[in-house]
Amino acid sequence: MNGSGKKKNVGLFVCHCGVNIAGVVDVERVAKEMEDYPDVEFSTNYVYMCSEPGQKMILDTIKEKKLDAIIVAACSPTLHEKTFQNVAELGGLNPYQVEIANIREQGSWVHSDKEKATEKAIKVVKSMVEKVRANESLEPIEVGVTRRALVIGAGISGIQAALDIADHGYEVLLVERNPSIGGHMIQLSETFPTLDCSQCIMTPKMVEASRHPKIKIMTYHEIESISGFVGNFKVKIKKKPRYVDENLCTLCADCEKVCPQVVQDEFNMGLSFRKAIYLPFPQAIPGTYTLDIESCLGLWPIRCGKCKDVCDVEAINFDEKEEIFEEEVGAVVVSTGYDLYTMQALGEYGGEKYEDVVDGLEFERILSASGPTGGEVRRPSDGKVPKNIVFIQCCGSRDPENHNPYCSKICCMYTTKHAMLYKHRVPDGNAIVFYIDVRTGGKKFEEFYQRAIDEDDVLYIRGKVSKVFQEGDKVIVWGVDTLTGKKVEVEADMVVLAMSMVKTEKVEDLLRKLKISTDADGWLAEAHPKLRPVESLNAGFYLAGCAHGPKDIPETVSQASAAAAKVGNLFAQEKLLHEPTIVPVIEELCSGCGICVTVCPYGARELDAIKKVVKVNEVLCEGCGACAAACPSGAAQQRNQTDDQIFSMVRAILKG
Amino acid sequence: MRLHYYPGCTLKEKTTNLDNSTRAAMEVLGYELVEPENWTCCGAEFPLTEEKIVGLAAPTRILRQVELEGGDKVVTTCSFCFNVLKRTNEALLRDPLKHKRINTYLRDDIKIEPLTKKKTTDFPEYSGKVWVLHLMEFIKNEIGYDKVHPLLKRELKGLKVAPYYGCRLLRPAEEVGIDEPDNPHIFEEFLENLGCEVVDFPFKQECCGSYLSISLPDAASEASYQVLRSAKLNGADVIALSCPLCYYNLDRRQDRIKEMYFDFNGFPILFFTQILAWALGVDEDILGLDQHYFDPRPVLGITHKAEVAS
Repeated sequence: MNGSGKKKNVGLFVCHCGVNIAGVVDVERVAKEMEDYPDVEFSTNYVYMCSEPGQKMILDTIKEKKLDAIIVAACSPTLHEKTFQNVAELGGLNPYQVEIANIREQGSWVHSDKEKATEKAIKVVKSMVEKVRANESLEPIEVGVTRRALVIGAGISGIQAALDIADHGYEVLLVERNPSIGGHMIQLSETFPTLDCSQCIMTPKMVEASRHPKIKIMTYHEIESISGFVGNFKVKIKKKPRYVDENLCTLCADCEKVCPQVVQDEFNMGLSFRKAIYLPFPQAIPGTYTLDIESCLGLWPIRCGKCKDVCDVEAINFDEKEEIFEEEVGAVVVSTGYDLYTMQALGEYGGEKYEDVVDGLEFERILSASGPTGGEVRRPSDGKVPKNIVFIQCCGSRDPENHNPYCSKICCMYTTKHAMLYKHRVPDGNAIVFYIDVRTGGKKFEEFYQRAIDEDDVLYIRGKVSKVFQEGDKVIVWGVDTLTGKKVEVEADMVVLAMSMVKTEKVEDLLRKLKISTDADGWLAEAHPKLRPVESLNAGFYLAGCAHGPKDIPETVSQASAAAAKVGNLFAQEKLLHEPTIVPVIEELCSGCGICVTVCPYGARELDAIKKVVKVNEVLCEGCGACAAACPSGAAQQRNQTDDQIFSMVRAILKG
Repeated sequence: MRLHYYPGCTLKEKTTNLDNSTRAAMEVLGYELVEPENWTCCGAEFPLTEEKIVGLAAPTRILRQVELEGGDKVVTTCSFCFNVLKRTNEALLRDPLKHKRINTYLRDDIKIEPLTKKKTTDFPEYSGKVWVLHLMEFIKNEIGYDKVHPLLKRELKGLKVAPYYGCRLLRPAEEVGIDEPDNPHIFEEFLENLGCEVVDFPFKQECCGSYLSISLPDAASEASYQVLRSAKLNGADVIALSCPLCYYNLDRRQDRIKEMYFDFNGFPILFFTQILAWALGVDEDILGLDQHYFDPRPVLGITHKAEVAS
């Protein structure tokens, strides 16, 4: 064992990184001066240490000079520490005998004075020699994996992720807060740019998910909390009482007929009505009625209880209670979807005031064959077929001063689709679109847009709308055509607002509880914007669909499959390896004050009430060092980053 | 209770009906309105050029006088005066350099008493802390409608009033806005609490033509016609407003509007304070209803018959 203070043969490899480092730091001088430093057995420099020949040189030198440890003076350890640890392992060294002296990001890139930058580089390298001299050889901590995934939200992204994970052969819990799976996609009429019927392509997926032996669908369930760590999560799930046994319900609809309570139907965006006991839509999965307790008159037979009386199969059970139970999973896919920005936020368009001003999802229901008008385009106020219809784009999007700064991405295409479908159904009508830009970045999107103009005579006006108001039975739209610089007034029969997509308020509490990071607009944050787009920064959490940002269906499905593949990667591992550079407790020194327990951001430390010392859950510890800094008695010492090591590093730097 | 009140020039000349009805109504509500001594014109327009300090001198002087007299708030009814005074405060608080410059400039003011010829110099600095309130805000937030309700003497039920905000009460929203600029409610709330039936109409925030009244009178007539037409189309009996310029364009301009648009036969306009004073039982003569181009008395007269004995 290479204990601290013992003599070690240390090899130093100084990288030029082309001119990235060598342009400012005199790398040859660094290597030369370090030759005489205690314990440095070998010192050299090379143009690209990370290149194949560079790595080979390190490997050969380890063997030849019988090195005990190596230092690579190069770029930040986040980039190539792994590379050089692998090389060291090939040469028979423990990977924790490798240290990186960062002389690029914290050296050449931030300095211009060559002399001083070189001196700093030498000091940094010296301090790393001091550190590596006391480095222990460590083995990664092994943890088991629960090969079972949790998918939160069963829209198209959640269903696709669940199907892919299940097809890998792993069990999936698909949790949905609504009575049926399907999400927003099942509400859509037809999809761009192919005009496939959304229900026709969505329902097979829903059926497949419900029939899959590896998928357990939990509708009308909500996540209460998730604890644990990657590979080993414990999930508390709340089952909301449905008051109808889904296995017994035969969908005879007798209960619905007798129910006296009429409320707005959320599946049809409030354009039609449903009863308090209802089937969300004909293809709902599970195919069962649900009693919405908030609209129900009450569960006492004295009050109403009509539904229970007429149910022949006795599926209705008023005594059902809320249940909370625990499940174990190894990975979590968050696919909680989106909401539309409320029309109320745009008072000047009167969306909340005028019945004939509707948002995109409401118009989807009006266009849908299963919608409140059976697919005929009729306006909500009086059921007339609108002859002039205006579509306003970017409602709440691309407006950093008043609303959301981002582009909602799908509205250009769905508005084009709306206008086209309208023209197919009302060929003598006029469809006018007000736009800022038409963004058609997608396969066959631009062609689709051109088709709307050329074949379906949709009129596009470039400009924003300032005001929408009702006059008689017309909706007047005031806008501007910025290409001619003229004001435009349209007497429309109906107006459709392409409202911006926004984060779902309903799951905000959940995300806060899970401590999943979000960006400034509330979308889930990915681990890296380019290279890790489907992983969360929190290990074991994966992102799919619009919870991560506005997306169309193909992109959502791709991301869901990618998230499922990542879950597959995780589950394919025999054991999960955890960094061993954690902060254990030296029990003899620990006074049991518990300060470290309060500073630990990962909940990895707890006070042993009997022994009065702190215990560490090695798997939860991420080695951030907060406890080591806070510990007043020096009992918390981070592996390979002990107080002694840090002091010797500081001394090496100050000595000059 | 004493309350600082800045009427502004128009209320002393063209629209004494706004001034008189305000005073009468506030008296019923238990307030004595005090004008700051030696007040001048507010400037009528807020100077939009950054470096134009001198345009802020007049409104700052008015606010300084209120402060000197120990007032911490000042109430206005004219939308223009409200806009200028409030924005002046905002400008001073937002820009400390501007605040300093204007105070340095105003320090050299000299006041000479007409009788004693006594000179006052070295005026203290204005802190920027006098709270500028529109009367509608004051009634809603400082008095409270629950205090107003028991004092109401006349029943206004059935009087369909269209509240007209114009531009000055709402914009620029971040500086003056007494309510959401695109979806305001404060005027509606005010009228509802007096017992009127509120008529929502889409032109309530549109421009009346404003100062185009001078340079392009027919453009102002056209703009005002659209407002009047929309209110009528939506079933209003009368338009309520708070701005003397809107009043001029919407009421006095009606003779020209009649010439320009054959379908227009006139429409009554009332200041919000006239409706308030009427509801509070103030005598008809004080309200100056005879000053209006289009006589609003018949509209109130109908309700007059339904008056509850006071």
